[in-house]
Amino acid sequence: MSWLSRLLGGSTPPADRETAQAAKAASQARMTAWEQALAAGRLPDFVEKRLEDASAGRTPWISTMTPAELLLARTHGLRPLATVTGTCWYQYQRSWTEGHAAGWGSALARIRAEAVACGANAVVDVKMRTSPGGLGASMDFTLIGTAVRILGLPPSPEPVIATVPALEFVRLLEMGIVPVGLAVGARYEWISDASKTMGGSWTMNNQALGQLGRFWERVRRQAHADLKRDAARQGNGVLAHTQFGQIIKQEVDKAPDRYLGRHIVIGTVVDTRAGSSIPHSITTVVDMRDELSPLDGGATKSHNAYDSNETEGAI
Amino acid sequence: MADATDIPQHALERMKGLRGEGHAGGVFTSDFSVNEFLLVRKAGFEPVGLCVGSCIYHLGIQYGAWSKNQEMDVLSQAMYQARELAMARMREEAADMGADGVVGVRLTVKRLEWDEHVLEFVAIGTGVVHAKGHTTFKGPKGQPFTSDLSGQDFWTLLHAGYRPLEMVMGSCVYHVAHRGMMKSMGSVGQNVELTNFSQALYDAREIAMERMQQEAADAGAEGVVGVDLHEGSHNWQPHIIEFFAVGTAVLPISTELDASTIPDPQLVLSVNS
Repeated sequence: MSWLSRLLGGSTPPADRETAQAAKAASQARMTAWEQALAAGRLPDFVEKRLEDASAGRTPWISTMTPAELLLARTHGLRPLATVTGTCWYQYQRSWTEGHAAGWGSALARIRAEAVACGANAVVDVKMRTSPGGLGASMDFTLIGTAVRILGLPPSPEPVIATVPALEFVRLLEMGIVPVGLAVGARYEWISDASKTMGGSWTMNNQALGQLGRFWERVRRQAHADLKRDAARQGNGVLAHTQFGQIIKQEVDKAPDRYLGRHIVIGTVVDTRAGSSIPHSITTVVDMRDELSPLDGGATKSHNAYDSNETEGAI
Repeated sequence: MADATDIPQHALERMKGLRGEGHAGGVFTSDFSVNEFLLVRKAGFEPVGLCVGSCIYHLGIQYGAWSKNQEMDVLSQAMYQARELAMARMREEAADMGADGVVGVRLTVKRLEWDEHVLEFVAIGTGVVHAKGHTTFKGPKGQPFTSDLSGQDFWTLLHAGYRPLEMVMGSCVYHVAHRGMMKSMGSVGQNVELTNFSQALYDAREIAMERMQQEAADAGAEGVVGVDLHEGSHNWQPHIIEFFAVGTAVLPISTELDASTIPDPQLVLSVNS
């Protein structure tokens, strides 16, 4: 039956009607399962089953690893289990900074829950994603990565969540460096410009804007101090920072101008002994990979937190 | 596989001339870079020709209920079926030129400017054949394998002890519910999770992944490598978003290689960067 006749109230054959009703009921049941699971801080049964099946080898494993990573994973006793995700759509009307920290925090707890469900020891290649089209002061905070098991180890109650790709994860482990998780530092602060001098509009000369500069420096340093505190709970170092900072001027009618400085920094926490040696020699090579080569410099997309992956013409 | 007569005459003539072997003076076409070509050859394969499949598709119309999280099944089916058609046509061309598989497949979607409901899907990759004529590299049901891996990744995959079977995918177009006025008013000025949006995105990703995993299971794969989850709105109404999971299903080469026989990669520093 065409959409037009449905719209005009035409009758639907009973078989189609039953199928449609069954699909509607199934969709509603899934929604209810999600609602209850998220409220209780656990996973819906069907997600747990998918992850358990993948873990037991009853269904194909699903991995974001490249073939090169798969090769290294195999030689180093890592087995991919499943692609795991953590999603939280968070509204930050009261505080952008705290909201972003809370959003990533919830996503982290959820990806960890999925990793636990498939009996993983670690999640590698964790990418930070946001869906296009954030609504007002709210945004999607999503983490996607590959859960892996290290052969010979029992499932971990607290799997490691690493933003580094599998290649780097294995290399780090080999050198006695254990990526243990993510650390977040976030700060925001307002400053009032009662004398209207902070912005430098009073002078035609070159002039360092000291008060505003010091304010912005303080916000950044506090965010980095938060990052350090968060990292100290988990390990003794942070690698691969993602930073995002903004300074915004707000003009208010019949009141002094205000500036808002906000800064968020996220990194991979590692645990390592100071001064450990690197057991490998380094060979110089001519690289046969094309533009994508990680050897040619340029950051990987793994740490690109505030970009969606939507591009014109892409699948 | 379709009857060879389904393929236009000029395409058949082009394919006849593609393989040098048995067709003196024949040439291959490919979009390989020099390095890709060398590594595909090193892996024991030869390119035979560029394979293309395309499909221009009119999407059906479906409206999401304003306040309901729901899959837009008409659009999900359309997006999946159109991609599948493009892939099948590319695979058909590969089979007709005698290829064992297609590597470096790129699958793209473009909106055509004259109608927002019409999309063009294109699948394009290079057909390859095993240089020594081994037939064990074919995909499911004796069809050419398909893979979105580059020539370099193809070489590496074979060295990791796996062979590509099929490019697998799962699509889910989802309507994310609008929040009601009362709910929105209740959370004004607060930092709070918008759980109905979280649920919608979680569910849509989960459905796309489940479908891709099912395809891999149907193909008899051991796993799926290089998985990516794409999001796109293709200029639909706000709140409608497609989650698309895609990767290459793989299977161990005949008997699985012992991991200890795989050479350990060395640390290198590129001098040509």
